[in-house]
Amino acid sequence: MRGPDIQWYVVLSALLFTTGALGVLLRRSPLIILLSVEIMLNSANLLLIAFSRLHGREDGQIFAISVMAVAASEVVVGLGLIVALGRRHIELDVDKLRTLRG
Amino acid sequence: MNAAAWTCLLLPLASAVAITIAGTRIPRRTAAYISTATTMGAFAAAVYAFVVMLGESPEQRAHATTSWTWLSAGAYHFGVTLLTDQLSIMMMLIVSGVGSLIVAYSVGYMDGEDEERRYFAYMSLFVFSMLLLVQGGNLLLLLAGWGMVGLSSYLLIGFYQERASAIAAAKKAFVMNAFGDATMALALFLLIQHTGRLDYAGVFAHSPHGGAIANLIALGLLGGALAKSAQLPLHTWLPDAMEGPTPVSALIHAATMVTAGVYLIARCHTLFENAYVVRDLAAGLGAATLLMAGLIALVQTDIKRVIAYSTMSQIGYMFVGVGVGAYPNGMFHLMTHAFFKALLFLGAGIAIHAVVGEQDIRKLAGVGKLMPFTKIVFLIGSLALVGIFPFSGFFSKDSILASALAAGWYGQVLFAAGMVGALLTGIYAFRLYFIVFTGEPSAFAREHFHKHHGQEGPLSMRWTVALLAVLAAVAGWLQFAPLWHPLTTWLAPVAAPTVEPTNTQEWVTSILGVAIGLAGIAIAWAMYSAKRIKVPKPVTLFERKFYWDELYDALFYRGGELVTQAFSSLVEKPLIAGSLSAVTGAFGLGSRELGLAQNGLVRSYALALTSGIAVLAVVFLAAR
Repeated sequence: MRGPDIQWYVVLSALLFTTGALGVLLRRSPLIILLSVEIMLNSANLLLIAFSRLHGREDGQIFAISVMAVAASEVVVGLGLIVALGRRHIELDVDKLRTLRG
Repeated sequence: MNAAAWTCLLLPLASAVAITIAGTRIPRRTAAYISTATTMGAFAAAVYAFVVMLGESPEQRAHATTSWTWLSAGAYHFGVTLLTDQLSIMMMLIVSGVGSLIVAYSVGYMDGEDEERRYFAYMSLFVFSMLLLVQGGNLLLLLAGWGMVGLSSYLLIGFYQERASAIAAAKKAFVMNAFGDATMALALFLLIQHTGRLDYAGVFAHSPHGGAIANLIALGLLGGALAKSAQLPLHTWLPDAMEGPTPVSALIHAATMVTAGVYLIARCHTLFENAYVVRDLAAGLGAATLLMAGLIALVQTDIKRVIAYSTMSQIGYMFVGVGVGAYPNGMFHLMTHAFFKALLFLGAGIAIHAVVGEQDIRKLAGVGKLMPFTKIVFLIGSLALVGIFPFSGFFSKDSILASALAAGWYGQVLFAAGMVGALLTGIYAFRLYFIVFTGEPSAFAREHFHKHHGQEGPLSMRWTVALLAVLAAVAGWLQFAPLWHPLTTWLAPVAAPTVEPTNTQEWVTSILGVAIGLAGIAIAWAMYSAKRIKVPKPVTLFERKFYWDELYDALFYRGGELVTQAFSSLVEKPLIAGSLSAVTGAFGLGSRELGLAQNGLVRSYALALTSGIAVLAVVFLAAR
């Protein structure tokens, strides 16, 4: 098998996931949060494909494609919501969007 | 024979069902004619059965026919059995015969009523229920009929459902009758326990003689009889039941249903003979009722209520009759009473109908002058009620009192009560007659009296009343105890009397009875017609009906209210409502506290998620 060993992939994926998670936790713009969520999803995809290649089986790749499809749909909805908020001139700050407070 | 019995029973049921299903698709008049025709058909079937029975020997006159087994429970089987014997054929003839006349009368009386169809469906249902009661071949069917006549009585008392008083009266009647039904049901349970059956012959042969069980059984049956026949102490519903239409009062609350108690005692006389104390109690309550009702009737001002109290009083006589063991005499009085009391009610109905529904005798005063026909039939009915020779009441009432005279010291006390009652009957019956039917018409009567096409009432109301007047006048000649007694002979195989008055007792009672009745009439004449005696001020005790309603109100209504209030404040509020509010309070508090976590900050949710997963990851790694 060519290319780097599996450890590199795992480390890269962990770094990507942490970046995404920190983005979600620390940033306040919903757009950035959405992007960070995408990064987290893609770190998982990277692991799926890396292990699929390691074991020589295709099911990991199929999962990755499914995740991409779901992520695309989610982005459509999420971006739609954000555009709707922007059109109403509502400030794009998740700390201020607290109408669902209990 | 059996086919005739089934026809008699089922025709009125078919009519009730047909009128109900047809609803507004048939004209109101058609409903009236269907009901009348089927009741007459039932009467024809009863007459046919009677004629067949006349041709048979006395021992073979009882016919039982079972269509199917209604109830099977373990070793017990109860069939839908009709028993046609001497006693039930007599009741069938009275119920369907008087019933036909009264339903035919209703055609005129109820004309123009909005809900005529409902009325006639109920009437047919009543006739069916009453026939089921008298034709049933076992005590279970009798109880079924017993309950159903109570239901149809309830429906008809509350017929004018827009009147609150009618609804209240219907409920009162239903509740008191339900009490009687319950005691009867308890008696039947005891019978099943001790004899294992409910058919008449089997029950009579196997039920215990004397002892607590026999007394309890008879007492339970007596409770049903007292409630249905409006005797002390379960009588207060009958005067209120006058809220129903007048033909209903005539059919149900005078001629047939309220006399069912007398039929029950005559039918189950073996059970009552096994418990002499209870039979004496029945006679004593009858005597007390006849006196009390007579006294109350003296001061009532509603024409129908006076007649209602008179009904209670006359049924008191019947209870005295069957209570001393003179079953045929009690049944004889039941028959003549059905004629003359239906006549009195229907006669009063013509007067009420002609004066825009007014029932107060002070307003109706003198209306008889405008209605000569009604005046004559009412006079015949009153004479029969007081028991003046040769009208029917004379023959039947005096034979009851003669039997009482022959029944020892207790019977003599009852006899004395009956004689006082006869005096009261003379006074109240003729107080009514003299006030309403003689003298100058009151201003109210003159103003509101209206003729029906030049007659006092519609044709259907006049011919039925005329026929009843003939029956009330002559039916008594059927039996004159000292000289001829076909009815006693006829009933002997089913209900043989246990007392035999001597001829001297019969003659003494007859002469004394007529003399006292005439004395009562004379007093009424002197007070209300000739006005020679000043009318005494009405006694409050009588006007308030001996405070029975107040007593029951205090005992049961107020008592029940106290109990429910106690339960409300001691059990309901602290225990049930308290525990429930503790549960809701706990949930409310818990959810308010949990709600604080829902702060609307998306990033705090994300932090909770990630830290939760981190903790889980640490836990799993550590667990390895």
